[in-house]
Amino acid sequence: MNITRRNFIKATGLGAATITLGNIGCSSASAQGYSKQLKIKGAREVISICPYCSVCCHFIAHVKDGKVVSTEGDPGYPVSQGALCAKGSAMLSQINDNKRVLNCLYRAPFSDKWEEKSYGWMVDRVAQKIKETRDKHFKEKNEAGQTVNRIDEIFHLGSSQMDNEELAVTGQAMRTMGVVHIDHQARV
Amino acid sequence: MSKTFFIDTTRCTACRGCQVACKEWQGFEGNQTKQVGWGSHQNPPDLNPKNYKVVRFSEQKLKDRVAWNFFPDQCRHCVDPSCKYPADEYKKGLVILDEETGAVIYTDACRDMPKDVFQQMLDFCPYNIPRRDEKTGVINKCDMCVERVKEGLVPMCVKACPTGTMNFGEREDMIDLAKKRLGIVKKEFPEAQIIDEEAVRVLYLVAYKPETYFKTAAAKPGTFDVTRKEALAKMGQSFRNFFRV
Repeated sequence: MNITRRNFIKATGLGAATITLGNIGCSSASAQGYSKQLKIKGAREVISICPYCSVCCHFIAHVKDGKVVSTEGDPGYPVSQGALCAKGSAMLSQINDNKRVLNCLYRAPFSDKWEEKSYGWMVDRVAQKIKETRDKHFKEKNEAGQTVNRIDEIFHLGSSQMDNEELAVTGQAMRTMGVVHIDHQARV
Repeated sequence: MSKTFFIDTTRCTACRGCQVACKEWQGFEGNQTKQVGWGSHQNPPDLNPKNYKVVRFSEQKLKDRVAWNFFPDQCRHCVDPSCKYPADEYKKGLVILDEETGAVIYTDACRDMPKDVFQQMLDFCPYNIPRRDEKTGVINKCDMCVERVKEGLVPMCVKACPTGTMNFGEREDMIDLAKKRLGIVKKEFPEAQIIDEEAVRVLYLVAYKPETYFKTAAAKPGTFDVTRKEALAKMGQSFRNFFRV
């Protein structure tokens, strides 16, 4: 091998440079090792509301190609200011979970399996059951002969996510039917 | 400019928002939880390859009452990371100290690391943080959400925290904030301290002695000095052989 002085210096210089860079952990291979792309880059931001407690924290859903890729708290919501608890932080899993129920499921009395039904069918079924129960058990007077006009056999469980207007409508509907047992799930 | 976390455990209510937010961002699937038979509400029982973060629960009996200490445990992103030495000795570039943020990052290439090297990394870590997925060989831990930080966002655990426990920013700002909070907390809790302030990029403010939170909440005294000495000693001899003595 024909080594000139110039080539020798070049070779040793390069070697020294490689050692130095390598020692401080700066080789090009390592720089590529963690060049992770920000998964929400270029995603559309959609604001939605956490369904759990009555604080109703807003969260931002990052949507890419019609799919939610990440969720995080919305800093613009004045109550939580972008923070979320463990339930709200789990929105992504809740949306994308493969066990998520997407249609109404109905289990007939004494049946051991669920059937998929439409919303319309469900509403009719619930209305029919309410009417049957009310017709059978509605009480105009109590034992003391006082007028009560109530139904003790129906219980209404609302939701802490309902706003004033929804509550007004629901409350009116229940009281019109004579339902007196009205509650909601508060904080779960 | 390096970044630093400030974790004010006196404000932590153990809601575990940080823990879940971290899992969601990283896209990790669920873990087997343990509800009964071990006397704790903590879940999962320990850090694992699918949990970079776990809020540790510890009950302590004081003179007149019981203290329930919460400790959101995660990688401390040491200023001089001990785990990097055995990894570098095996192959350079597997464990990276990111200069811009100060994050200590385990690259994907770590999955090919031999068992004994990983064991050394684990032994070297003063806080018992690195975990390995036995099936895939992947070695991982908190990566400071480095891709978020580089885009000017805060790590996901900090973003989620509703109580002000998790804070993140420039090192000087976080040290200032930590000192300010320490001054306030000390009035009520004389044992309050900031754990290993000089050595780590995750500053924990605790109200009681660190060992009442978790056994490796603080490094053993002298840990970091020894590591530096040993690092110097490795010149001219195999680092690994040196430590096997």
